[in-house]
Amino acid sequence: TAAAPRPWRLFGAMCLLRLPRISQPLVKEEEEMAALMGQIELEKSHYSDHEVRQLEEEEQLRRRKESMHDDDEAVGKTVIMAQDLEDKWEQKLLQFKAAPRITDADKNNNRTSLDRRLDSNLMLLVKQRIGNQELWLLPQVEWQPGETLRSTAERAMATFLGDHVQAKILGNAPYGIYKYKFPRAIRTEDNVGAKVFFFKAFLQSSDLSQAEPKDYLWVTKDELGDYLKPEYLKKVNRFLLD
Amino acid sequence: SSHALCSFLPFSSGLPQAVPFRGSHWQTSLLALGASLPVRAQPKKKKKVDLKREQAQKDRMKKKLKKLEKAAPEMIPIEDFVTPIKYSDSNRVRSLAPLSFEETERRVLLLKKWCLFKQKQDEAEKKAIQTLVEAQQEALKELRLESEELYQAAIRRDEGLFPFERDGPDYTPPLPGYDPPEGKCVDITKVYTQ
Repeated sequence: TAAAPRPWRLFGAMCLLRLPRISQPLVKEEEEMAALMGQIELEKSHYSDHEVRQLEEEEQLRRRKESMHDDDEAVGKTVIMAQDLEDKWEQKLLQFKAAPRITDADKNNNRTSLDRRLDSNLMLLVKQRIGNQELWLLPQVEWQPGETLRSTAERAMATFLGDHVQAKILGNAPYGIYKYKFPRAIRTEDNVGAKVFFFKAFLQSSDLSQAEPKDYLWVTKDELGDYLKPEYLKKVNRFLLD
Repeated sequence: SSHALCSFLPFSSGLPQAVPFRGSHWQTSLLALGASLPVRAQPKKKKKVDLKREQAQKDRMKKKLKKLEKAAPEMIPIEDFVTPIKYSDSNRVRSLAPLSFEETERRVLLLKKWCLFKQKQDEAEKKAIQTLVEAQQEALKELRLESEELYQAAIRRDEGLFPFERDGPDYTPPLPGYDPPEGKCVDITKVYTQ
């Protein structure tokens, strides 16, 4: 059934998310609760083998101090005490240096780097020319007849990041839509406006050397407001979870 | 064997002959006499009784086997639910000071605050999921208005999506060039078969 051609132009846009690499810091209530849970667990528990050994050794030491003649027996033996073991483990832990949670990119506020804000989702924004304006948008490309909207979105991603980027697209269905009418100057009977369909994907490869050196940014959900237009932002925020 | 000699030995009385007699050159002693010479008169009774007894025995064994098979298979013990006996010693009990009144109060109030916090968190999550679903429904509706074919392609199931695996976020990011120490893990879990 060939219907009359609709006056809307179709675009497929890709919302590429870099998922968090570290856990979010605990809120005050969560911290207090975690401490309380630890205390209750300690109170309800029994002594473990290690603790029983520690208590026995403390008892022995105490007895040896009180009655000095036991010293002669103990001189020959070199016994490793449980306390010594604990000290050794503590030393070993202090020697290990973990990677910092706040990276250099965080300190410099380098918004083009993927290492910033490791505890939240980062989204790709690119500067595109729409009509006669340069706007910050999620990467989008016009739909061509013969392909599904999902492949349009994939093509949009490949145009800006190169062919070698690996992403897991979450399903065939669009997540959101942004509809706008062209300004009256260029509006015609056949060309009323455009519909942009958003697709979501998770970034899996960290190799973005093929990316074109155009303007691009990786921003979190709260920073989107600095770059996107209000109407566009409203529609995008609907399908983004924190 | 001495089958050819049976006709010479009447055994109707049931008593073997006292005469030392060598059945054949293969027989080396008299003691083997009673066993090697075939008995004719008694066997007919022994066969029936023995047969019946053996049959009864076999039936009893079969019944026992059937009963064992019918019985439910032995349950596998869940080792997590069974406390080993060495942990119920009295010297293991922790000695701590009893909680003060302020401490118990603080705990109760904290639990109530936590309850409220979790409720708000849960509600926010549910609302976010609701908006997500609504946004998608709206997008699909608009798509359907545009073209039926694209709509059908969009609502098709994505086979490659599941199973989806991902390493969850850790406390610190991965350290580049870190060489973890070597170690071997020996699995000592007990495996039960029914």
